[in-house]
Amino acid sequence: MPTERLLPRLFVCLLLAMLAVAGWQWHRGAPLSADLMSLVPGATQDPLVQRAEQRMQEPLNRELLVLVGHPQRQQALALAEKLAGQWQASGLFEKVQWSLQTDLQAVRTQLLQGRLAMLAPADRQQLEAQPDAFVAQRVQSLFDPFAGFSLVPNQDDWLGLTGRVQNSQPKPANVELDTASGALIAQADDHYWVLLRARTLGNAFDMQLPLQVADLLANARQQAEPLGAQLLAASGLLHAAAGQQQASREISWVGGGATLGILLLLWLAFRNWRALLAFVPVLVGMLFGSVVCVALFGQMHVMTLVLGSSLIGVAVDYPLHYLSKSWSLKPWQSWPAVRLTLPGMSLSLATSCIGYLALAFTPFPALTQIAAFSAAGLLGAYLSAVCLLPALLASAQLRPALWPLRITQALTQWREALLRRVPSGALLALVLLFCAGGLWHLQTRNDIRQWVGTPPQLLQQAQAVARITGYQPTSQFYLVRAADQQQLLARTQALGAKLTELVELGKLKGFMSLSQLVASPAEQQQARKALEVLPEHWQPLVALGVPEAALQAEIQQLQALPVQAIEHVLAGPLGEAWRPLWLGADAQGVAAIVSLQGLSDAALLQLQTQDLDGVQLVDRLGELNQLFAATQVSAAELKLLSCVLILVLLVMPFGLRGSLRIVALPLLAALCSLASLGWLGQPLTLFSLFGLLLVTAISVDYAILMHERIGGAAVSLLGTLLAALTTWLSFGLLALSSTPAVSNFGAAVSLGLVFSFLLAPWAAPRDGAPTPP
Amino acid sequence: MNPIDNRALRRTAGVGLPAIACKAGPLVLALLLWLISPLTFAFTLDDLQKQLSAPAVVKGPFVQEKHLRALPQPLLSQGQFVLARDHGLLWLLQTPLRQDYRIDAHGIARRDPSGWQALPNRSAGAEQNRLFFAVLQGDSTGLQRDFELALTGDAAHWQLQLTPRSLLLKQVFKRIDITGGRYVQRIELSETQGDSTVLRMPESSGAADLSDAERSDFAN
Repeated sequence: MPTERLLPRLFVCLLLAMLAVAGWQWHRGAPLSADLMSLVPGATQDPLVQRAEQRMQEPLNRELLVLVGHPQRQQALALAEKLAGQWQASGLFEKVQWSLQTDLQAVRTQLLQGRLAMLAPADRQQLEAQPDAFVAQRVQSLFDPFAGFSLVPNQDDWLGLTGRVQNSQPKPANVELDTASGALIAQADDHYWVLLRARTLGNAFDMQLPLQVADLLANARQQAEPLGAQLLAASGLLHAAAGQQQASREISWVGGGATLGILLLLWLAFRNWRALLAFVPVLVGMLFGSVVCVALFGQMHVMTLVLGSSLIGVAVDYPLHYLSKSWSLKPWQSWPAVRLTLPGMSLSLATSCIGYLALAFTPFPALTQIAAFSAAGLLGAYLSAVCLLPALLASAQLRPALWPLRITQALTQWREALLRRVPSGALLALVLLFCAGGLWHLQTRNDIRQWVGTPPQLLQQAQAVARITGYQPTSQFYLVRAADQQQLLARTQALGAKLTELVELGKLKGFMSLSQLVASPAEQQQARKALEVLPEHWQPLVALGVPEAALQAEIQQLQALPVQAIEHVLAGPLGEAWRPLWLGADAQGVAAIVSLQGLSDAALLQLQTQDLDGVQLVDRLGELNQLFAATQVSAAELKLLSCVLILVLLVMPFGLRGSLRIVALPLLAALCSLASLGWLGQPLTLFSLFGLLLVTAISVDYAILMHERIGGAAVSLLGTLLAALTTWLSFGLLALSSTPAVSNFGAAVSLGLVFSFLLAPWAAPRDGAPTPP
Repeated sequence: MNPIDNRALRRTAGVGLPAIACKAGPLVLALLLWLISPLTFAFTLDDLQKQLSAPAVVKGPFVQEKHLRALPQPLLSQGQFVLARDHGLLWLLQTPLRQDYRIDAHGIARRDPSGWQALPNRSAGAEQNRLFFAVLQGDSTGLQRDFELALTGDAAHWQLQLTPRSLLLKQVFKRIDITGGRYVQRIELSETQGDSTVLRMPESSGAADLSDAERSDFAN
């Protein structure tokens, strides 16, 4: 037949084209991504919020913070210095810093220029409201042996404003400056911890960099161990490295395990090495999936690969459709068998694709990617199963083993025996009872943290670093907008007052805001005005011998100081820590971030924005978790919609009654697995729900196989069993993943497949038997 | 999901600098505490060090002269000090204004009408306490990390010169000169900016124990 020659050739051309595209896509390195945030919906369209989020995320992805600990201070310092040298030489980092050797002259200049602009609110209020007390304090500080040395000489600052600015700068929490080395040291757990900070050239989502950084750290640990030193590290890079290692480990397990299992099953069932060619559609499916995915999204997330590797089990179902007919068709020939099963296979492709593509309509890029990968993969597998594989198997003589058929025959007989005693209706009631009980116990849980399987030791280290240094940064922050800098600083100050209360109540660890660094233009003006009356109060200073002319000159100098804008103060060395907070000006006005320390109750933080114009709480994780919950509802709707679509599709070949039956069974299977999750105490997550969405699509396939009954009930059941086993192998392996989301997905699908298989026989119309659900 | 974020730690870069300036004060005090102890037959640093644990209490009057480049006359202040090895230091400024200070294991405190008030801004951190106790326990290695020490003279007339080692301290101090005989008599701190502070303690004496009033000052 010409089509039997034409099809394989056409398909080989397509395959070669796909291979060429894949080669082009991969020639510049693997188009893979490990960026977790690329998997979740862009929560906001607001470019300013996006920019603020990027600003807050950036250090996570580029900075490495290490505490080098040793019971001996000098040893800790020496090791930190040595490691800093090695890391600087590694070429991975833009900057490695263990000691501060900064130019104090620049600080002096900034202090002098910022005498009014950077004066703390309490000091400014004293200057304005209690000039006598202000002068008295200055006199006291001149004699105070404990006041320390002002960086600015007294003669340049008789009023002592720079000393006040200096003292009002926030102190690092538990970290002390080691004056000899310039290192920052914390003391905890009988160790001295030297802070070592490094900033990478690339970011955590370069595929190579995180692994290189993790290697460097492992090497540093090896050096530290014989010295009795300890290293604690925290960085988004390490999480990325762990995630990548885990993903590649899991891809090997799931992919390798499923491959081996399926090949073994094929060999045991068909006892012909050619039957192993049934694996060709799997490989083709993977190729199609990755090519389409990269073409659509520019790259592929490692999570897509992990979940996509479960496609192996689904893709192998197509060849099984006609290979399993070798138990009934004797002699079995590839092309006739394909022709016989083609309608079923096509329907199965259509229903599976509907199921997968339903995932694409959720707002999660992660699922869209998985859906595109899977749908393209299934299409590729189907095409190769229909066009190529029959040609490869053209001369194959399949004499399958009889044991699988005996098993399904026995199963069929058991079922009939059971049905003679217990009618289907009663069974259905029992099943529904089981479902109701399980659903009663079912709990939902949605948390972005399920998407990452963070190794506990990384988490412990990050917590130890937070404890020792006293810094507990959080992803929550406020975004403050205003028309101009005056309004912006007034707004951040109003917010700051509320946050200070929270800190005092112990509800928040701390916060950082531009209004802590710089006074608003109006406040600077007020301070300048207060200087006018100061000569009436400075007698005590004059009494000490300070020349009145010098004081007079200083007042003039201060009044001539220009009003300092935010960017001006940030440019100086004292502004460094605040620079990330400033978002600058755009057409709408100006904006700044107020960052928080110590994770806090989002509702409480939200409450603080009440009555404050232009203040917005940005809590990306909280929003995402809410979005997860909201998406569950839309996922359920999608599920029903996909069922309706499948129903419409099946009405043509099977009639309304048959197709209702074929669609109702998978739904019941999904319900049963939902209930099982409840009985097992497993939470229902967005992922398990998507898993069930998929189960519906896949198990329609089994129902079709059973409904068609090509070759008899036992042979059909055998085909279903083989298909279910292969699929179950790959999804079951996913359940072992250490990423909660992935394992949850695998568990839900595995459970669903078991029930689908158990319920599938009811898809066949039984003469005289009670109508199954 | 959220590993520690280094952002907040960056603030240390900006804040560390003024922090040393705050630290310099206690550092000077620490020197004072160390050197105020009686030094008999101290020719080497080790000998000096051994003397530190000897007397329980040293007390006497002090005169502080602050020489500012722009002022023709130094700023003069006077008072009494009490150094107790096991407790800390009382620094009682009497003229031109009365103000009492105390430095001990808890940090620095200032007395106001309602009692001792800890100074939060300059409260002694780990580094300051370390220096303080290094000094009290006669551990000169603590000082040697920050300064080059050069001792000349004999037990009756000796001079000790401290030169800062680190770039950071060099930007604050040029040199510290200490001279003494049986007790420390004079400390001069020369700042890089040109100002200097001279502390004179001409009539120090040792005592076996604290008076009741002094004891209660350390207790509260």
